[in-house]
Order: sequence, then C-alpha cells, then structure tokens
Amino acid sequence: MWTTKTFLTKTKRGNVLKIVREHYLRDDLLCGSAACNFCPHKDDELVLEANPESLCGLFDSNHYLILDTNVVLHQIDVIEEDALKNVIILQTVLEEVKHQNTAIFQRLLEVIGNKKRKFFSFVNEHHKDTYVERNPGEKQNDRNDRAIRKAASWYASHLSIKNIDGQFPQIVLLTDDEKNRQLAHDEGILTCTVSDYIKNVNGYPGLSDKLSKNVIPESCSKDALYPAHLTPTQIHAGIRNGKLHQGTFHASRDNYLEGNATISGCEKSILLQGHIGINRAIDGDIVAIEILPQEEWSKPSDIVLEDKTEDPGDFLEEESQLLTISKADDDITPTGKVVGIIRRKWRQYCGILLPSKFPGATRHLFTPAEKRIPRVRIETRQSDILASQRILVALDSWPRNSRYPLGHFVRSLGPIGDKDAENEVILLEHDVPHARFSEAVLACLPPDNWTIPEEELARRVDLRATCVCSVDPPGCTDIDDALHARRAAAGYEVGVHIADVTHFVRPHSALDREAAARATTVYLVDKRIDMVPELLSSNLCSLRGGEERLAFSCIWILDENAHVLSTKFHKSVIKSRAAMTYEEAQMAIDETSRNDEIATSLRLLNKLAKKLKQRRLDNGALLLASPEIRFQVDSETHEPLDVQAKRIVDTNSMVEEFMLLANVSVAERIAADYPQSALLRRHPAPPPAHFNAFLKAASRQGFELDVSTNKSFSKSLNEAVIPERPFFNTLLRIMATRCMQQAVYFSSGSKTQEEFYHYGLACPIYTHFTSPIRRYADVVVHRLLAGSVGADATHAALLDTRAAQALCDNLNYRHRHAQLAARASVALNTHILFKNREEVESAVVLAVKRNALQVLIPKYGLEGPLYLPSDKFTYNEEENVQICNDIVFKTFDELTVRLTLDSSNLQHRKLVFQLVTPFIPGVSYVQQTKDDQMEVENVEIKTDEKKRKDLPETKNKKKKKSKT
Amino acid sequence: MAGLLLSSTEKMYILHGVQDDYRSDGRSNIDYRPMELETDVVSHASGSARLRLANTDILVGVKTEIDEPKPNNPGLGKIEFFVDCSANATPEFEGRGGEQLANMISNLMQRAYHSSQAFDLKQLCILEGKQCWKLYVDILILECGGNLCDAVSLAVKAALFNTRIPFVKAALMDGGSVDFQLSDDPYDCKLLEVGNAPLLVTLCKIGNKCVVDPSAEEESCSVISLIVGITGNPKYYSKESKASLNFECKCSTIGMNGPGSVAPETFKAAITQGIIAAKCLDEALGRTLLRERQECGSYKKNSYGFLK
Repeated sequence: MWTTKTFLTKTKRGNVLKIVREHYLRDDLLCGSAACNFCPHKDDELVLEANPESLCGLFDSNHYLILDTNVVLHQIDVIEEDALKNVIILQTVLEEVKHQNTAIFQRLLEVIGNKKRKFFSFVNEHHKDTYVERNPGEKQNDRNDRAIRKAASWYASHLSIKNIDGQFPQIVLLTDDEKNRQLAHDEGILTCTVSDYIKNVNGYPGLSDKLSKNVIPESCSKDALYPAHLTPTQIHAGIRNGKLHQGTFHASRDNYLEGNATISGCEKSILLQGHIGINRAIDGDIVAIEILPQEEWSKPSDIVLEDKTEDPGDFLEEESQLLTISKADDDITPTGKVVGIIRRKWRQYCGILLPSKFPGATRHLFTPAEKRIPRVRIETRQSDILASQRILVALDSWPRNSRYPLGHFVRSLGPIGDKDAENEVILLEHDVPHARFSEAVLACLPPDNWTIPEEELARRVDLRATCVCSVDPPGCTDIDDALHARRAAAGYEVGVHIADVTHFVRPHSALDREAAARATTVYLVDKRIDMVPELLSSNLCSLRGGEERLAFSCIWILDENAHVLSTKFHKSVIKSRAAMTYEEAQMAIDETSRNDEIATSLRLLNKLAKKLKQRRLDNGALLLASPEIRFQVDSETHEPLDVQAKRIVDTNSMVEEFMLLANVSVAERIAADYPQSALLRRHPAPPPAHFNAFLKAASRQGFELDVSTNKSFSKSLNEAVIPERPFFNTLLRIMATRCMQQAVYFSSGSKTQEEFYHYGLACPIYTHFTSPIRRYADVVVHRLLAGSVGADATHAALLDTRAAQALCDNLNYRHRHAQLAARASVALNTHILFKNREEVESAVVLAVKRNALQVLIPKYGLEGPLYLPSDKFTYNEEENVQICNDIVFKTFDELTVRLTLDSSNLQHRKLVFQLVTPFIPGVSYVQQTKDDQMEVENVEIKTDEKKRKDLPETKNKKKKKSKT
Repeated sequence: MAGLLLSSTEKMYILHGVQDDYRSDGRSNIDYRPMELETDVVSHASGSARLRLANTDILVGVKTEIDEPKPNNPGLGKIEFFVDCSANATPEFEGRGGEQLANMISNLMQRAYHSSQAFDLKQLCILEGKQCWKLYVDILILECGGNLCDAVSLAVKAALFNTRIPFVKAALMDGGSVDFQLSDDPYDCKLLEVGNAPLLVTLCKIGNKCVVDPSAEEESCSVISLIVGITGNPKYYSKESKASLNFECKCSTIGMNGPGSVAPETFKAAITQGIIAAKCLDEALGRTLLRERQECGSYKKNSYGFLK
C-alpha cells in the first residue's frame, strides 16, 4: 500500500520544483506493548511494560506517555532523568526534533536506546491506521499535532482489543499546546501539561527543577521591561532593504551593560549599550541590529562594571554610569541597538547558584562562570544543596518582563572549589571534548604488546644505528620529536624524527574522526586531555629512549653556516639513545669532559641552531613574550604549591630552531605538491590600528617604536631598553604580543601566495609537522607529506579544498579554546595557591581605565584590576592617566601591591589587588603588625609532572587577550 | 491512414452518407465519437490529463518553471508546447518518423494559443519585467487512431484546467535581483483561467461537405482537411456563469492538411461548421471538468484505471 507526499521547494537558481515522493504504508508494524494481545511480538520486541507503574498523582491507573514535539525539544533534561518510563516516541515527533535540533535529537536517541528506560519509538507515519494526510489549508504543525492525536487514540483502542476493561494501560498525551489539548480532550484522549504532570510525580525530588520555563518571549507585554523583538519576516524585510544589519553579538567581559556586534561588510564593529540597546541578546547570538543616527553615536565606556550581587527583582536600573560620556570625542564609534534575534546560540552554562535571601524561596539567580553571560533565573527547591556546588544550567527563554533570562537546572558538577568540578567547568566552558574514548575508537588501537612488524621494517629506512636523542621538558611522556646530527661528506647531516602517528591513525577510522574532532591535546595544570588514547600518546608513538619506534624523518645536509644544501623526507625506524630534559641536555653540552656521541651531536646541533636563529632574527622574526608561569604541584593532592616563571636554557631554543626548520621545509614541499589542499599556517600582520594604544604608552616612556614591518619592529623592540628596569623590555614584548593577531591554519587553495606569510616568524610559508601526537594539523600534514614522498597512499579527502578548509576552521576553533582553557586552568590554580596566603609584590600598570588600573605581577604572571576610588582620583582621558594630588599613574608605572584571595563570598572567589606603594592615605593598604601575618609554609620543590610541553612556536603565537 | 484499403463502392457509400448528414456509424457531421478523459494522472506534473478518443490516446503534462519575461512583453508569461510521438503509437513514428507530425501539431498549438483572447498570459506574470511563469506543455501521443489535433487540444485544455501554480510572493532586491517566498503548504496554489483556451477542430472534406472527427475510413475518402482553432467560452469552466450570453467564439488559427483544394464557399461553410462543433465540444469538456473537480473536491483524488 502506498500513497504519495507532495511538496514544493525552491532551488538555488530560483526555481520552484514540485517534488513527489512515494510513501509506503504498512499493516505489520508492532505496537511494542506487552499488554497487547494482537500484534505478533517476539519477546525482544516488547519494550513497554504490561503494567507500568503510575508515578503521577494526577493519573491513578497505569498508563503510557506520548510526548509532543515541543515537549521533547524543551524538556529534554527532564526526559533524560530516569523517572519517566514507558514512553512512546512517535516518528512524527522524532523527525520534527531531528529537523529542529540535532543535539537534542542525539540525546533523545540515547534515551530511546537505553533498554531500562522503556522508550518505544513507534513508526506512526508508516502505519496504515495512523498515517494522516495533510488537509488543504492546514499548517504542517497542525497536521503533525493531528498525527500525534491519531496515534494516541489508535494506541488506546488497539490496546483495548481482547483486553478486560481497566486491565490495560491508558494513553496519556503530554502537550503544552492548549489548542492541541482541547482537541485531544474532545477526541477522548487523556492529556495533561508537562509541568502539571512532572510536578505531581512522586518519589523523584528535584525532577521539577529540570523543567524548562519556556515562555513565548514576546507574548508578555504586561510589565514589559524590554522592547519587543521584531518578527522574523520583519527582520528579513529590514535586512533586505538595508535598514537592519545582521551580526554576531559579543558581550563585553568587563561591562555587563555593553557589547558589540560584528557585521559583515562593515569594518568597525557596532557598539551596543545598555539594557535596551542589548535587548536580551546573549553573547554569541546572531542578532538584527538597527544603527542609530550619527548624533546618537557613543563610544565604548572604559569602566569596569559588574552586575549587583543582590537580586534586584524585575526592573532595570538607571544606566547613568554609561551615559556620562562626552559626546564630542573622536573615539565615537557607530552605535546601534538590537531589534531582533535571528538565531540564539545558547548552550549550557556552568556556574554557581546565588540563593535567594528569603528562606524557602524557589526562585533563585544563577551566576555563570563566563562573565559575558548574564545571570539566569532558575527555580529549584534544592537551593541549600546546590548553593555549594558548581552546577550546569540550560537557558529556556527571555520574556520581555523578566530582567534575567529564565533557565533550569541540568546537573551538578561537584562542590565549589573541588578540583575535579572546577576542571570540569573549565572543559565545559571551553567546549573541550573530554569524554572517555569510545569503544569504537579503542578498537582501532594496536595491541598493548605491539612491536614493529618485519614488513614495516623492510619498507622503512633503518636509522636504529644512528645516534638519535630527544630533548623535552621534564616529565613529558608524549615525546613526538627527536634529533640527530653528524658530520657528512659535505657539511653536516641533521635529522629531525617525528613520531609516525599516521601509521596508527588511519584515515576515516573512528580513531581518526575522534582525533579530528578533538583537534588538539589540552593541557590543564594538573590534567592532560589527550587527542589520541594514552596507549599511542605515551607509549607506541612516544619516541622513548632505548625503544624502537616508527618515525617520519626529515634529513638535511647543512653547510658550515647552517644553510640547507639538500632536504629529504622518508619514513624510518629509530631507536632513541636518550630522552633528555632541557637541563640534562644543557649539562651534556656544557660539561667539556663529556665527549661521547650524544654530547658531540648535541654540541653540533646547538652550534647550528644558533646560526639558524640569528639568521631568522635578521630576517625580522619577532621575539615576543608572554607571562608564562609553571606551578609546582603536590604529587598527591595535586594542589599547587608554588609558582615560578619558566626558565629558558639554550637547549630550548636549540630544539625550537630545528622544529621550525622542519616545519618550513615540509611546508614548502607540500605547498608545491598540493597547491589546492595543503594544510598550512599563516600569521597575518596586525592592522596598524591595533598598535595605537601601545605606541602611545611607549612614547610616554620615551620610545618611538617603528611598527611598519616586522623587521623594523623587531629592531626597535631590541633597542627599547631601560638599563635600571630589566623587566621593562619584557613588558614591552608582552604588550606587543597582545597587539598581534592569531595565527591560523588554512588550506593553500583558499588563499593567495602572498597571504601565506607568517608575520611572527618572518617566513613566507609555514606549517605544523612536528607534534602529531598532540595536534591533528600535524597528522594531516604527515599524510600529505607521505603521499608526496610516496610513503603512503593518498585519499580523496586530502585533495578537497573545501573539506580542508572546514577542517582548518575546526582546528582553529579548538586551538583557541584549548589555549583559553589552559589559561583558565592557570587562573584557577592561582586562586587555590592564594587560598591561605597574602603577598606583597611589585607590579606594573598595563592599562589605565576610568575606574581602575590593569596591573600585572611579573612574578606570577597574574593580571587584574586595581580599583581606584573615584573621589580621590581623577581620570584624564586625553593623556590616559589617573591623577591623585601629585601622584600620577600611567601605563608602565611600577607599583607595589598586596595580593589576597577574597574568600568572604565563597561563591565569588577572586584575587584582590590593593595598592601598597606609592602611599596614598585612605587608598593604600597599611601593613599590619607582623604577628597577624600568616606563616608562609615551606614548600617542597617538586617537579610538576603534567606540565605542558614547551611548544616551539607558542611564544610567538600568544594572542592578545580578546578585549571588548 | 495508410494500409487501409477501401473499395470504390465503400467510398461512395461513405460519401453519400456525408452528403445526407448521416455517417456510417450513425453520427451527424458535427458529432464526435465518445471520449474518455481523466485529469491529474501524473503526480509529478503541475497539471495533467489523459484523453482517449476512439483509438487515439493522448497524455498531457504541464510543468511550471520560473523564467524572465521577454523584454517586449514584460507583463506576460510564457507557454510552450512539445509533442512527442511515441513509437508505441504506430510503427511509423519509429526513429525520427514522428518528428514532422510532432512539429506540425506543436506549431499549430502554439499559434492557436498565441492570441491574448485565446489564452491570457498575464496570469503567468509574477513580477513585471523580472519574473514570470513559463508553462511547458508536454504532449505525449501514446496511441494514434486518427484525429490527433482535436484530441491533443482537448487534452491540453483539460491539463491546463487541472494545472495548479504555486503562490509565490516576489520582491525586488537591490541590484535588480529578485527574491521570492514560497508557501510551505502544497495546497496553496492558484488555478489558471483556461475558459478561452482554443480547441482545434479538424474538418475533413468529403465531397462538398465536411465532417468532424473522421474515422479512419472517412479519412481515406478525403483529400484535404481543414484545422480550425476556436476559442472557448469561459462560462462553461466556472461555477458562477456570469459570462455574457452573446459571447462569440473566435477563430484563432486555421491550417490545412492534404493535397486537395477548397472552394471559398466551402471554406466559409467549413469554419461555421467548425465553430458549431467547437462550441458543443467546449461545453461538454467544461461541464465534465467542472463535475470532476466538484466530485474530488481539492483533496488528493483517487486515480482510476490509468497508470494504476
């Protein structure tokens, strides 16, 4: 039996097609219920119990549930709880959910797949008795609702066949649509709203907390605080005629009442200010913006503004602080207001509960960890328990009459301050995939006792006899590079050997897909989230000392001045003589009595590396700096004990130079062989505007820097030295780093040759080849190179520019988030470190704001605001200085500050900076008597085992922190 | 029709019958044989009809496409006819055999529909000067049993009557490009006004008189046939019969077929006869189509017989 489905579609070329599909109807579909006497079930096909227990107080008799689409879409968190069982999911619902939200669809499938949950998916669209044809004039949604009701009444009558009255389960339809409920009631179907049902469920406390508070946001015009959003059609028409613009909303990190939106085709981003200007947009949303007339334009306020700690209720406060802006200013930027939301980009947010002041209240505020997200109003009865926990909350809606968006509790991550919970927060907030590797992925791994098979040995160049060694940070277990050097007939032979990860990670395997999705290994202070399973990352791929390993080698012949005479690439087998730390290698070089093979080759490498580096710097490569610190972690509790700045020895730069050389050599090779699809890395030159504030501050210190090219910039940075302030130059370099743009991966087919340039390294072409264990980009580069030298087969996806670009987008996204996660982890550990301490440290001013100084503590690499009371200080906008009587604060000034952790509010731990010197009465912190001070514990020096490796390139890559 | 052998006596018998307005199968000179008509037979097309007249079997499908109007007629849509003579119909159509006949019929249809009084192309306009609908009328001859032109024109008119054009809202964007919105409801369509659409009537000259819808035997008695295109009367095609009573049918095309010649008087008489025949035919067709539409409502119809 069949029927046809007809619909019209619009093609890209602007034509209308009538599409007719055959639709088959069957009479042999089973109902899945054990109470059914009719369908010829086999035992394993019975999903629904014969006597489902009724949980809900509203329905005494046992029953099955049928959910409508919106219930699934909005209440997936409730559905995922174990409470609801014996639920029928109709195909109509399943398809609508799939169409509207794939993430929720996946979660629903998981629930259906769970045998214990007894969810039955019924193919009502293909059952001859439950298929309904769309009527003329009927909306698609109405048809689907009708199909759901039809299936519900079919089930009710189907189960009654040959059953004694009252002994078979009823059907209860859960829907929040009032019209649908009325129609269902008229047709004799039992119905109920979700919230009524869930609130009457017995035995599952906390279930109702997960109810989504989904209100149609524009419907509440009563007591409206915000202007209504335009409808999608109005937005569409507005954008088409140019009155409105589409952009992505970015909230400010410092000021919750400010944000901006980037609009394509518009150079400057549009400023959005105040509750009304932002009009319920949340960071990341795609919004429709109306640009205000030029006389209403304003400029970004430079104050740091945080939302009040108290719950102000539903009203919007005066925004006077924002409005005190001198209009006649040259910094005025285009200003606009949000008039509609095109697409919400909501995800689940981590944070903490801010319990209501009234005991027993159920409405509470939730403060997200991410500062750019506004607080969320949630309802829960477990506020006492949740107040001390990190929780995950989903946003539901933001009605016009609510100051805050409405959301609901999803799950608890653990107690506040607990390391695991805090790490989980960091990983979730930065979208780092950190679930354990699936069975399918683990199945791709070789056995634990894998050894190199004979045929593999025959295929490769045997370098086991060569004196290869690796140099890495202490405690590194994923060693992906090793080196060797020796005299050759003409000059020197130098080899870089990179772990051959692609031998194990075959294209399109589950392992490959997982690695591509993760894109990079993420290093937290006390945790490493691997890109490939540990067996590979720390064992089979890791080039450990004394073990035979597969490698991809890049061998050069260099002359006396380290000029490359020839390059060759091949797969090889190596046996590393020693896996050394930087310090050990340095010692081997320095100890003149040592004359073994390792020491001589290290000295040779070191000598050549220095020449390479000099040549690179002469070409204009920038030596930038970022405050990097490493924690000493207690090996048992994993609590940080102390921090210190990283020590740099010669051998660091020795390894780095050869990695750079290898990367450049490989980049040249693959770009030549794959002009359309080589994966490369570029670093665009920063636009001159980025330097403005930096140059102003530098010139006030008496240095005129030339930023026209990287060469001149590098030169003038070298010259900007104040002998009595040794840190000044580093500070300049730190600030210069923040003016840089992010280096990105790209596919050679998507850019022109000139755009390949790497600004920071001053080389015309660059890629990543040397760390395939922890970066997926390197894996792809390995495959490209293997294809190019004939060591491995190529596959179609390697040559597809579009696929390559899509891959690069994901890599860039993951890398940025991995960096941010690492930074957040450092911040977290700093907080833990300062839990019981206070320190007085010297600091420098990085920036002057309207009500605060942004200061940096060089010792810890910590950065934070030092608030200045406005009654004592006056802010001079012109000069960008803060003045109090005769004391003037400007950028680069040195101060002494006291550092403490403000734990008075457990929810909101933050580092507090207080001014110590220069002394200003009433502002500066007065040292208390010695007795009050805590004794600083003697800290054991321990090596931190899981510290991230020194990336050869990172220093040049550290991005300026994304400011507003 | 070749291959049909008639003796001179038989020919004489037919000729005499025509002179007396009483044909060998009992019809008068302006009578058609019974026909079988079904619409909406091809679900993929926007409109379709299948007509069977004696042994002639025609399937017509109408497809719609969006196109740019011609610069000299910015407010008009387009219509095109394609005839495909299937080799199933008769062995003569094999290879390129049917091409000439196909061209002849499609040109004739094109001419007959060319006039604004025959078919109003304004109703196919979406946005003047920018976008219009183009109708592709695909005519498939499944079986050839004589009187092709009449059957084709009837089937085409029925298919156009059955055609549903999706409602689109078009708007002019910057830079002259057009953007349009399409309703997601497949029932959200408009119907064409086809009341005026012409019907072709083939008049077969036998002796001094002409007959319509000749049988194969009658055709072999004739040396020339006239094909006239006569516009229809919209009142038969809509329920509210508000059309003026003194509606006059117009002749939109005339064609001739065969080696013979026609005297002016016979010619005039033939056209008058054609108009009368077309009127009856048009009325019958309109009534039938209306009845079919009413019976099925606008629900998806259950198809009978054909392709089932």
